Parts: sequence; C-alpha cells; structure tokens
Amino acid sequence: MSLFRSSLRVSAVMSIILLIIIMSVCVFPLSVMLILLAAIFILHITCICLLLAATIHNAWWMTDTMSTDIWARWILIGGKWSYTEIPGHYPKEYLQVVQASSVLACIFCILGLFVFVAQLYTIPKGNRFLFTGVFQLLAWLCIMIAASIYTDIFHKDKEQGWYGASFILAWISVCLTFISCITYFTLRKKLA
Amino acid sequence: MLSVLALTSMVLLGIASQTTAIVVYTSWERHALVGTDVRLSCSFFSWQWTSPDVTFSWHYRPDGAKDSIAIFHYAGGAPYVDNKGPFRDRLEFVGNPSRRDGSILIKNVDFADNGTFTCDAKNPPDIAGRPSHVRLLVFEKVPVQAGVITGAIIGVVLGLLILIVAIYYLMRFLVARRVFSLSMSKHGKKGKGKEGSQQKQKPKVPLVFISF
Repeated sequence: MSLFRSSLRVSAVMSIILLIIIMSVCVFPLSVMLILLAAIFILHITCICLLLAATIHNAWWMTDTMSTDIWARWILIGGKWSYTEIPGHYPKEYLQVVQASSVLACIFCILGLFVFVAQLYTIPKGNRFLFTGVFQLLAWLCIMIAASIYTDIFHKDKEQGWYGASFILAWISVCLTFISCITYFTLRKKLA
Repeated sequence: MLSVLALTSMVLLGIASQTTAIVVYTSWERHALVGTDVRLSCSFFSWQWTSPDVTFSWHYRPDGAKDSIAIFHYAGGAPYVDNKGPFRDRLEFVGNPSRRDGSILIKNVDFADNGTFTCDAKNPPDIAGRPSHVRLLVFEKVPVQAGVITGAIIGVVLGLLILIVAIYYLMRFLVARRVFSLSMSKHGKKGKGKEGSQQKQKPKVPLVFISF
C-alpha cells in the first residue's frame, strides 16, 4: 500500500512540475520546444516509475487480509503482515511468464531513457527517434503481455477479492508506454 | 605468559578435536519421478586415511513416522542390503568405499518411498561425527522450479536484443568502411578532406518539435 502511495506521490510531483513549466511560459520566454522536451522526458520517467511499482509491489489481487502476486503473498495474521509463498494451485508457467515480461518491460523502458538521451546528441537533424521508439514499443508489448495474461488466466473462479494497485498501475503503464512510443516515432529532431 | 600458554593449548586442543571429527555429506533433497531410479550419494571428509574398517549405514524414516529403520550397512569390506523391509530387491550398493563413496541406488521409486534417508559413515579411529539427511520427494510430474522459466525468458530476450544491436552496428560499420574505401580510391586526398569537414557539423543544442 505504501509503495502505491509513494508512486502516486511521484506521479503527482511530476505533474506539478509539468504544470509549473507550462505556467512559466507566461513569465519566462521559454520556448515551446524546451517544454515539449521536458514533457516527453517526464512522461518517460513516469512510465518507468509506474512499471517498477507494478512489478515490485505484490498487490495484483487483494482481499481484506491478503495482498498477493506476482512474486509472493502477504497475509494478515493476528494484526501482522507475513510474507508467504504463492500457493501451489497457481498455474506456475503462466505466473513465471508474467514475472518475466513485466521485468523485461521495466528493463526496456529504462534502457529506452538512456537511448533517448544518446540519440538526442548523436542523430543528425531531421531524423526521427526510431531506436528509442523501438525500445518503448518493446516495453509496451511486454507489459501488455504481462497484464493480459494475468487478467485472463488468474483469479477466474469466483474468488472473493478485487484487483489491487499493481494491476491498475500495469494497465495504466500499457497506455502510457503506448503514448510514449507513438511520440518517439513521430518526433523529429530540430536544432535551436 | 600463562594466558598465552592457555590460549595456545586451547587452540591446539580445538585443532586436535577437529582432526578426529568426521563430516558426512549428502544432498539436501532429491526429486524423482514415479517409477524412476534414484541414486542417493553419501560421502565423508576425514583427516585420517581411509581405513579398511570403514563403515556406511543408511536408515530410512517415512514421512510422518517417528522411528527410522536400517536399510543398508557396509562393514568389513562387504555390503549388507535390506531384504525384509520396504526396499527388498530394490536397493543396490553403487558406492566405492575406498574412495569414500557410500551411495545407494533405489530402483522403481513409488509414493510410499517419500521420507528422510540418513547416511552415517565411520572411519576408525575417526568415529565422532553427525549423520547427514537427504529428503526424497517423489512426484508424478516434475514441478517447475521457481524462477527457471522467468530467468530463461529474460535471458533469451536480452541476448537476442544484444545480438541484434551488435549485428546492426557491425553492418553499419562495414558499409561505412566500404563506402569510405571506395571514395578514397576514386577521389584520393580531395575526397578525404570533404568528408572530414562534413562530419564535423555536429548539432550542439538539441531541441525537438513534432512534425507530421
């Protein structure tokens, strides 16, 4: 729960920064392009934060006394949360595929950030950020696979409970990484 | 001076008692499919030479039972296999005592063979030691161990990525070198000067805008 709140705080801080930058265009003569660059940067970093939160925090499925998936299960016993293993009746292969693809999505998104900075300084004028777009596309594919498999395979019988914070963050990351990928594929580099 | 003597004598005593303790090694757990053969390995470490009176003994305690039964004993150079208990005609000695190996082979395991096997080895005069346990788990289908598929998928995808990036840069490098050598042979020094000045135009302030 605390990780979910902290990731929410991070995203809130970033949107506030974005708002400040947009407002500053009225005060300082900052060019639109610089703001756009900052916005794309912040979008990418937000994607990374949400992906990391969805992968690391064990809260894809929750009940009143349990917070579970994709690595372990937290059970509330006697007022204390204890860290236990995921029960044996879970389809293990699908769980490991979800684990692998969400980790891969995080890796691709983080690599994409470094590739974006590198491409910013190296590609010739007028070119598109294709390499970065490819990394974001791969990240989008991986997190989409993870979220879809989880939605389709797990918790299909009428269990009590509801989808938790990490699940929601995973699906939000699907949308954000897609937007980010499209942005990189349509952007062109221009000199000042 | 007295304290130094006392300390040295304690250390020596510690080493001396260490040299007469035997350490027995087995696996921690063995997983097996129903109907297959399982080899339970047992070895020991001892400061003494391997004596001809070395003994190995295996005990078996079924899951949920309190007592263990003896199923195998090796002494005086001859193995003695259990021919009355649950492992009659299924147990075979496959070890080599002169090489400190006291392994046994259980053929055609069944679900009733789930339990803890204890190996005790004695190498006279080295007899003080703890026996070692190995747990046998019999499955109908070998379960997927946690993280094997995850690690395999991540490794393969990242490996492919690195391979593709390496091949891409190699192709670009080779093509550029071929173009460069071609232009060199055609224009000589004049062509080299032109290309050098063209490459220096690197952008300094990176700004972007969306273009449709």
